[in-house]
Amino acid sequence: MEWMSLLGFGACVPDPSFRAGLPFPAFDINRDAIPPLLRRRTSQATQIAFSAATVACSQACRRPAALPSIFASVVGEIQTTDLLCIELAKPEGLISPSSFHNSVQNTASGYWSIAQQCIHPASALAAGCDTFAMALLEAWCQLACQGSELLLVCYDETWPEYLAPGRGEPAFASALVLAAGVVEDSLLHIGRPHRGCKSEGFQPVLASLAAKMPVLGAMPLLSLATTGGDGQNVPISPAASGWQVKVSTCV
Amino acid sequence: MARKFNCNCFGRVEEVTSKLKVARLNVQLTELEITMPTCPPIPPVAITAYQCVSAAGDDVEALLQSLIANQSCLKPLRLFDIPFETVVGEVASSLPDIRTSLKAYDCRNARLALKALETGNFRADVEYAMARYGVGRVGLVLGTSTSGIYNTENAYAHLLRDRSMPGNFHFQQTQTAQATAEFLQLELGLRGPWYGISTACSSSAKALGAAQRLLAADMCDAVLVAGVDSLCRLTLHGFHSLQLVSPMACRPMDIDRQGISIGEGAALLLLERLSQDNAKHPRLLAVGESSDAYHMSAPHPEGAGAVSSMDMALRLAGRAVDEVDYINLHATASTLNDQAEAKAVARLFPNPPPCSGVKGLLGHTLGAVGAVESVISLLALQRGFLPGTCGLQHPDPQCYCPVISAPRLDLHPRLVLSNAFGFGGNNASVLLEAA
Repeated sequence: MEWMSLLGFGACVPDPSFRAGLPFPAFDINRDAIPPLLRRRTSQATQIAFSAATVACSQACRRPAALPSIFASVVGEIQTTDLLCIELAKPEGLISPSSFHNSVQNTASGYWSIAQQCIHPASALAAGCDTFAMALLEAWCQLACQGSELLLVCYDETWPEYLAPGRGEPAFASALVLAAGVVEDSLLHIGRPHRGCKSEGFQPVLASLAAKMPVLGAMPLLSLATTGGDGQNVPISPAASGWQVKVSTCV
Repeated sequence: MARKFNCNCFGRVEEVTSKLKVARLNVQLTELEITMPTCPPIPPVAITAYQCVSAAGDDVEALLQSLIANQSCLKPLRLFDIPFETVVGEVASSLPDIRTSLKAYDCRNARLALKALETGNFRADVEYAMARYGVGRVGLVLGTSTSGIYNTENAYAHLLRDRSMPGNFHFQQTQTAQATAEFLQLELGLRGPWYGISTACSSSAKALGAAQRLLAADMCDAVLVAGVDSLCRLTLHGFHSLQLVSPMACRPMDIDRQGISIGEGAALLLLERLSQDNAKHPRLLAVGESSDAYHMSAPHPEGAGAVSSMDMALRLAGRAVDEVDYINLHATASTLNDQAEAKAVARLFPNPPPCSGVKGLLGHTLGAVGAVESVISLLALQRGFLPGTCGLQHPDPQCYCPVISAPRLDLHPRLVLSNAFGFGGNNASVLLEAA
């Protein structure tokens, strides 16, 4: 496989001022993307992931139930986990069963498969500042091995301030529907993830933002999906690892 | 047993030319078969080294002796206090220190991983692969459910007392799902792709699948797969809140079962593409994966997702159900899980092979369990025996598959299927073959 194709993408950014300055379309949490029974049970993380994924599937004209999924997040359900840890530190601490099963990293992917009645494989991965890059690499490997199409969602809710002072905001989710090989009329053709030089990486402003919220590592690729680009390497990680992909709009 | 793939020593996807041998299915599965995805074959990979630290002891030899003796290693918890009765599979021996330059990663999970890395020849085997292929061509995929959260829990006691986390608390380097993967990568000096997979109890079984794809897609020449999880209050209290924790050693598939027992452990496996050099090593044929799409914490009652993952593993490998010699069941000793898995086995296998579950021996090692029980399956393949089901006395009549209680030393399996199912209805089935 020389290329994978981007069929659609979505971004969810609850903070209106951050959203307004983005060079690609982004939306607030879409309550209609979350089944009514789940709205009160699900975290900001799961809700932004659902919102972005719904836009991506809609733009790609794909049924979510037909797509295997990769959900990627640095900290997963950190707000739920934080509340559980506070409770567990108290002598009389009691935790609820639903909070417990809603604290696992694959909460968003689990609820997505249930809500969409999707029986295909769903993964949940994390790789620190390389999280978006490794999710795209996992997507590449799945498509190279199994062909077809998949959904990639990369998201993080805001982190409790005391866990990592100065980091963990703004909340951000992006979702990509990707297909194996070259698909005509797709938004972008994306090459094999590889490591480049750090100097080819992020612009300084974006680098400082992504240092606080690593899933913003998706932003350069989302920007190019909006503006178009040809033959250039795009960074997919803000980390020193220098992961990048070649992109093209006409292969 | 003849290999079903006609691939060269590089074993890349494009070079697989064999035709899929479609797994035989029950007629009841027609509906499932229609909705299940197509599965192009994936080249098998060699497992050239493996190691495991568990409640049974500090290496695979201790684990083997424990499997043969079939005596439970579950004991009262020593690591911290809990306000209810249970026994756990705790690693009792001392854990190594984390080197000064990597102190930010120091937590029980990283120490368990380091202990497994430094056991026997495992580290030397990984370093040989790094020298042979180059550090950029060796990847790392680690499965965990709660990573270093035991240490975070201790830090929260400080937070509630002093309104701040302790100065030596490093959130991203200890608590997050990639923390121990990042530690191992830095400890070894790997420069290939690395990430953590955290899909609850299927995590490290899925890590094996991701690693196989990294090799098939030619992103790596070797991949270190890890399954590491450590005891913590969150999982013990969490499963207790679900009324799933047994006060005594768990009894999988037994009519008198009272719930699960939690354990901890670290299992490491080194995967490489097949070559003449590693022809004497056992092979990972495929990992089948599926979603129940049913409930966050309860399995599909008919085991539909479990059927899919087992079937997908067979189809990815081009193998038929009657070739499987032994099934290492997930068998947590929760009634719903045991019965759903037994139904799934009975539905997919017209004549099921002997099955057993080992969680009465070691406890449920959660995110590590896929790797830990793959190591157990490899021991069964290489040493020629079937593990028993420690604690099984009176088989649940609603579990229709042939579960064996005592180890069988007279049977020498060639093809083993190992199941790992988790929260979110996340299923993975690992298919392993003897050399």
